[in-house]
Amino acid sequence: MARRIGMMTIGSAFIFFLILIGLQEKVFAGELTEKVKDTTDKIIAIVSNQEMKQPDKAAERKRLIRQAIDERFDWEEMARRTLARHWTGRNDTEKKEFIFLFGKLLERTYLDKVEGYSGEKVNYEGETIDGDYGTVKVGIMTTQEKSIAVLYRLKKKGPDWFVYDISIEGVSLINNYRTQFNSIITKSSFQDLMKRLRTNVEEG
Amino acid sequence: MKKFSIEMTVGLFMVAGIICLGYLSIRLGKLEVMGGNSYEITAVFSNSGGIKTGSSVVIAGVDVGTVKEVTLSDYQARLVLSLPMDLKVQEDAIASVKTKGLIGEKYVEITPGGSEDIIKPGGRLRETQPAIDLEQLISGFVFGKI
Repeated sequence: MARRIGMMTIGSAFIFFLILIGLQEKVFAGELTEKVKDTTDKIIAIVSNQEMKQPDKAAERKRLIRQAIDERFDWEEMARRTLARHWTGRNDTEKKEFIFLFGKLLERTYLDKVEGYSGEKVNYEGETIDGDYGTVKVGIMTTQEKSIAVLYRLKKKGPDWFVYDISIEGVSLINNYRTQFNSIITKSSFQDLMKRLRTNVEEG
Repeated sequence: MKKFSIEMTVGLFMVAGIICLGYLSIRLGKLEVMGGNSYEITAVFSNSGGIKTGSSVVIAGVDVGTVKEVTLSDYQARLVLSLPMDLKVQEDAIASVKTKGLIGEKYVEITPGGSEDIIKPGGRLRETQPAIDLEQLISGFVFGKI
């Protein structure tokens, strides 16, 4: 009898162990993927919400999308990387205004595309972690069954991970704006870049 | 005595000639002896676009170094870039494989970053942008806009 109970204990311990391994895999396989997926799901939920599609809810919808993005994107890091060597010479007020305007520029450029979501599937294809840096590979299936490769680059800040660059079909967002901004600053000045950004944001 | 002196002169002349030839080969062939005054960093690309050893590394359109090695590592292209010792590459610099003109040769362009952390010799340039597959882009445009 005692032997039987012993066997049962070993058996249940083994099953418990298996469950634990299973759970661990679920929890730890893809920490970064989970973070990106969480934000993406939140945005999809907002843009798919029929109630939110009413014209009078447009501003509220934009605010909610921006809020979801803000939780996962490190705007300061993005702005710093975009301005690159021109960042160091700026004072705090200029930096703050640039971060704000850069965020608005991206919002203006990409929000319409996000809002045009029409049921595209998002496949999470893997992630890499290298110290404080990581990437998450995503494939977005268009309605024409074409896959668009998107790569999120994340950096660890404290206990959490934040996105600082997105590459779409291999083209980096930061590199694109870095080249453009550098060309404007070299040709004229940082003030001119800010003026252009302000006009761009006001128009939107 | 006189004979010996002529032989010596010819010998010395030959040695001098060989040294000159060696110097010229090294300079013209851009060979590096004893490490030279350059250092190496690596960069991993998901697509190198067929870049070859000896291709240029460019910053702001200026040739600053060469691609020293191209290998496959975990189904990705691993490039070793050789750069001059006095050139500092920031940790957030971005390396991208580009093409000279539409069908020209491939080269690596580095867009300098603003970070205070500098990539050490033997270090890795983390931010890379693969070669753009023009054919794929055109097919995407033809068969369905991306």
